[in-house]
Amino acid sequence: MKEKEIDEILRQAGRAPHPVDPALLDRVSQSIEPSVQPVRSLPRGRVLAGGMVLLCAAVALAGAARSGFFGFEKLGVLDRVLIFAPIAIFAWLAARGWVSAMIPGSRPGLSPQLLLGAGSLALLAVFALIFHDYRTDHFVAQGVVCLVVGLLHAVPAGIGVWFVLRRGFAVDPVAAGLAAGTLAGLAGVSMLELHCANFQAPHIMVWHTAVIPISAAAGALLAWVFRRRAQGQ
Amino acid sequence: MQPNGDLEMLMVRYQQGDFTAATDLIHWLSPQLHRFFVIQSASRTDADDLLQETWLRIHEVRHTYRPGEPVLPWFYAIARHIRVDHYRKALRTAGREGRLERMPEAAAAGSPGPGPMPDLATLLAPLPESQREVIEMLKVAGMSLEEVARATSSSVGSVKQKAHRAYERLRERLSAMGLNPGARGGIS
Repeated sequence: MKEKEIDEILRQAGRAPHPVDPALLDRVSQSIEPSVQPVRSLPRGRVLAGGMVLLCAAVALAGAARSGFFGFEKLGVLDRVLIFAPIAIFAWLAARGWVSAMIPGSRPGLSPQLLLGAGSLALLAVFALIFHDYRTDHFVAQGVVCLVVGLLHAVPAGIGVWFVLRRGFAVDPVAAGLAAGTLAGLAGVSMLELHCANFQAPHIMVWHTAVIPISAAAGALLAWVFRRRAQGQ
Repeated sequence: MQPNGDLEMLMVRYQQGDFTAATDLIHWLSPQLHRFFVIQSASRTDADDLLQETWLRIHEVRHTYRPGEPVLPWFYAIARHIRVDHYRKALRTAGREGRLERMPEAAAAGSPGPGPMPDLATLLAPLPESQREVIEMLKVAGMSLEEVARATSSSVGSVKQKAHRAYERLRERLSAMGLNPGARGGIS
């Protein structure tokens, strides 16, 4: 049987009338009638994504301004470009992913899982390329401090990006949470790269990079909990 | 089926607070959304509930539609979300698993030999859920590959692959049933 013949069979079956109980449709119309009022539609995706990237940059800059730009000052010009260019690119992609996840029927971009994996690996590769001091002085003590600082900056960034799209509607809340968490995590890493002057490769590759998956996992977990609660109602 | 341009215009008027546009949308789109649920859930009562829930959700989030964007993927993405949510709830609260597992068996048992054509739901019943929804959106709702990708939050390549696999299965099934597209009378 040829594809065209299958097409024709499906088309015929699809053309068959499929009546719906008119009383049901009237019930639906009546239930929404009292609240049919003008609504303001959401801005375009690029505007929303651009706003969120700027917001994350503002959180990172504000954090570094308060604690000092020690890391940024110690880095060479090329190193700065190599570190902040991929962070900016992945922040843009994560913001677009978050917008897609929060607006039904949006053009799908990179999947949040792929984005998280690719973003973390790309940063690991950049750090491996730039930093060649393999000592591990105060590895855990200093590392935990950086991890906590990075996550503390991811929290306001996460709240901010949620606020920008609070009127959105996630058809897949967990994927949306993952995208938002990744974006917030990138804000946390940016702050660390601006501030932290500990250039030991193991420190940066483990503790700085860990901010992204932890923040993404927290975003996905929160979304999962909210979905469960919403379903329970 | 309404041209997409008309639906987009109605949607914009609905966002502007026009109740007539909302009612027109409900009457025009409900049959195809209802069929989407019937094909997926195989129960008219469930489909009625899902349809009602979908329109209430559409009403709540109507501001998320952006004028100029394709409107059908927006409706189907919400309908799909409601269906998935409904299944999750049902699986958690009741011993629904057994019933769901039996569904394909029931459809297979109903596979007729040569004779009158089955309806669309029976025809698509042996397909996995993901392939069924892709075929329904492409061939019944008349959406493009890009629109189906938007509605299902997947890539165009993935939609193409699902459609291709679905066609392979349908080819086997239809050949076994001895159907041909000229036998119009049997389709209901």
